[in-house]
Parts: sequence; structure tokens; C-alpha cells
Amino acid sequence: MSLEKITNPFNARHWIGHMEADYVYTLGVAGERFFKEIKENGKIMGAKCQKCNITYVPPRMYCEKCFEKLKEWVDIGKKGVVHTFTIATIDINGEKLEKPTIYALIKFDGTCGGIIHKIDETDTVYIGMEVEAVLKPSNERKASINDIAYFKPAK
Amino acid sequence: MFGKKRVAIVGAGVTLFRRNLKETGKELSYEAAKTALEVAGLELRDIKSVVMGSAPDAFDGVHMKGEYLADGAGAYHKPYTRVFVGGGTGVFTPLAGWWHVASGQFDTCLVVCEEKMSSCYPHPQYAFTTIFDPILERPIGMNLIWIFALEMNRYMHKHNIKKEDIALVSVKNKRNALDNPIAQLAANITVEDVLNSEIMAWPVQRLDVSPTSDGAAAVVLASEDVAKEVTDNPVWIDGVGWCIDSTHWTDRDLYYPDYVECAAKMAYKMAGIKNPPKEIDLAEPYDPFDYKELHHMEGLLLCKKGEAPKLTREGVTQRDGDLPTCPSGGLLGCGNPIAAAGLMKVCEIFWQLRGEAGKRQIPGDPRTGVAQAWGDLMQYGSVIVLRR
Repeated sequence: MSLEKITNPFNARHWIGHMEADYVYTLGVAGERFFKEIKENGKIMGAKCQKCNITYVPPRMYCEKCFEKLKEWVDIGKKGVVHTFTIATIDINGEKLEKPTIYALIKFDGTCGGIIHKIDETDTVYIGMEVEAVLKPSNERKASINDIAYFKPAK
Repeated sequence: MFGKKRVAIVGAGVTLFRRNLKETGKELSYEAAKTALEVAGLELRDIKSVVMGSAPDAFDGVHMKGEYLADGAGAYHKPYTRVFVGGGTGVFTPLAGWWHVASGQFDTCLVVCEEKMSSCYPHPQYAFTTIFDPILERPIGMNLIWIFALEMNRYMHKHNIKKEDIALVSVKNKRNALDNPIAQLAANITVEDVLNSEIMAWPVQRLDVSPTSDGAAAVVLASEDVAKEVTDNPVWIDGVGWCIDSTHWTDRDLYYPDYVECAAKMAYKMAGIKNPPKEIDLAEPYDPFDYKELHHMEGLLLCKKGEAPKLTREGVTQRDGDLPTCPSGGLLGCGNPIAAAGLMKVCEIFWQLRGEAGKRQIPGDPRTGVAQAWGDLMQYGSVIVLRR
């Protein structure tokens, strides 16, 4: 074992490699429908397992608890509750963010699962706070989770 | 007796194999697992443990792919492991499932393999470029096809094998795949078609190679007592073997897969097989390239070294021959969603031994079959012997 302490790997003899890989991720069977509903109809949907009586948000193709295929889809509305949150002040490189960003796990009444998203239009946030989804204008939606711009305090 | 309990396969399922499928990896896993459970006549709640097999995370493009795929594999609130030995994963995963049940720890194990290679864009070859040693090999600009070309050339040179004879494997497997509803590249082609196809890296040509694919496969394993309760047609896992050669692939001669022989001997000893060509009725050797089927037949001790091309030329390995190989259509015909492709081979032996292979059914009441996969950097062998 080398006891020499290297604080900068560039000071050791080295070769610089790059793991190049780009990806195209299909939304999947359930994802296609979920994001189509948001994009075209502005609706956030859940999928209900009739056997387990559980509504999953986001909707899935199958119930992981009993393996039934989920056929019943329900509109769960846009209002949810902050289950937990954080306020980020630095980015992935350790740089100070211009404006702190609130990230929260938002749960929807009577459903299983939830959505991780940003919270905006507020200086205060707390666990149990009621929030509602703010969708991007329909012509800017791309069938992505970012079609929801953020959540804001519910009126 | 090997293990505390005898283990059977009681259900199997595969999805379509295609270059691009709409389903996510989770959804593909679910489709295969659900089918296997339905065939077994079991519910998810009857499953006591789950093993998932999937190749590098870089294909699906999700790090911690095992965790990501868990719900599709039916693993919610169950003992769950993801295993990975490169291309050998598809046959290794049911071996890992076997030890779950053979140990006496679990009565049942759901074994699922998945690959969604199309996520890696424009081509999963990008993921393959980083499997090599970062100091000695990657700076040269290695590519997966090249190393197979090096191995194929060495095999041809050692035994004086003609490309025409190797091409017969591609012709056979793609034709066998015409009867397989999951197949991606089933076709009636000729030796000339193979020899005239684009040269990728001599001696490897386009039609010597299996495609990249999306797909999933699953089997349900059960202990003897459970198996006999749920089916009249259990298929027993009578032999398991796995082995890795030197991590320095440059240390090997490359003309012969010692590590496959080592894994095969382990499996045959357990199954009490002394004369493999006589006692084995059909084989699914791993065939991502046409020469690999021949290489692996030899490693599986189904013939002498250098003899596999002759058997192929004489029709011995056709479905109606004495030793049918890849009656499924193999990877060359069905496609190669890495881990799922290996497990598909195990599923094919299961259907053949139960007489449920439909138009692909080989004649003669087969009782013993062997499936094999091969992986990591041309050095991993996994072998399973199944009996009715």
C-alpha cells in the first residue's frame, strides 16, 4: 500500500477518461398516459388498484403489492400537502444559489405515493402546508414532470 | 444430494424482444414476471424471495438498476437481490434463485431478468467502451466487436475453420426464430447472405452478430413439495455451475472457453452426467455471435474441441438432429436483451422439456437440456442442467 498522500490526482501519473453515454428514456405505458393528461388536459391522474383499494400517484401500470394490472384512472386534482421539505442554498458544485430553492415531497389525500417538486411564490413553508400545482401554459408543456412548473400555497 | 432441497421451475414467461419497446424496464419486468406467475398458477403473495438479473446500469441509464426494477420484479417487501455477471447474468440469475430455494430458506423464488438497451442512445456500444481496463486498453480506443473478432480469428486459426461453416449457425438460428413469436430478427437467409454482409471488424460481419434489444424474461422456482402441489410437469434444476477465468483476458489463448468447461463440469457432476453428448437431449448455448455457439458447444463438452462446425454442417444441431442447439432461435434470431436473452434460453428448455414449445418443439421426447450464458470480459461461464 502506498503511504504517499495524494491530494490532487493530477499529480500522480494518470490517463484522463470520459464515460460517454447519452440516453433516450421512454415514458412507458403508464407514463405516456400520465404525461398526456397533464399536457393536453391539465390533469394530474392516479391509478387505482381495485383489489388493494390503493390509488397510486403517479399512476403505474401495475400494483406492486398484488401484481394486478391497473385499469381505473382517477383525476386527483391539483391540491396536495407538504409531507417534508428542504431549502437548498448551494448547487451540486457547491456554488451559492442566487435564490434558495424549496424542494418538497407532496402527498395527495387518499393516495399512495406523491410527487417531488419545487415550491415557489412563498417565503414560508412547513410540513402539513396545503399546496397546489402550477402548470406551465399549455403551449409550453412537453409531456414532462416539468410541465408542472412548481407548487404554490393553496388558496 | 446437492443443497437441502430439490428445486423445480414451475412457470416461465418472456416479453417480445425488440430494438425499441415503449415499456419502461419496470414494465417489461412486470410483463414477464406476471406471465411466469400465471403459468405457475401462483399469486405474488406465494412468492417468498425474488432475484433480479440485469447487465450494466449504463444500458438502461439508471444507476442502481436493481433497486429501480424491484417493483416490476414483484419484490415489494420481500427478500431481494440483484445479481450481475455481464452477459452470463441470464443463466446465473436462476442459479442464484436456485440457492435461495435449495438452501431450504425459501419455498419459492421469482427470478426476473431485464434489459432495456435502447435507452442508451444512439447505441449501447457507448456503454461497452468503458468495460475495458482504463489504463491499458481504453486509451487504444477499444470496442466490443473488436475483441470478439480477435477471439473468433483465434478460434478459426487454431482449428482451421472456414467462415462458411460458422455462418451456418446464423442461418440455422435465424430460421429457428421464424417459429418464435418473440423474435426480433427471424429470417430465411443463406450462407452467402452472411458472407456478403457488411464487414464490421474482420472476421466479424453484420450477420454474424445478434442485435441489441429491449426485453424481459422470468421463471418461478419452487421447492419439491410446492412444485408437486402446483404442477404435474415440474422441470427440475439438476445441475448448476458457474466459473470465472482470469480477469486478464489477454492471459488466455482465446480459442477455447475453459471457464465454460469448468462451469459445465460442476453442473454435470451435480446432475450425474458422465457422457454429455449422449445424456443431453438439447442445448441452448449462448450465441451473441455465430462462432460463440460453436465455441460454447465445445466448452459444454457436447463435442470435441474444433468439432462443433462439423456437427453443424452435418445437421446434428438442427431441431430434428441428434443434438438440437438453440431451437428457440437463440440470440441471433430472437434478439439479445443481455440478461433477458440468457434467461429466455432457460425458458426455452423449460418449454421443450414440457412439450410446450409449439412449432419449435423438437421431436423425441426430450428429458435433459442444458442452457449456458457467457459474459464479463469473455471470461464468465454459467450453466444450468434441467430435467423432466
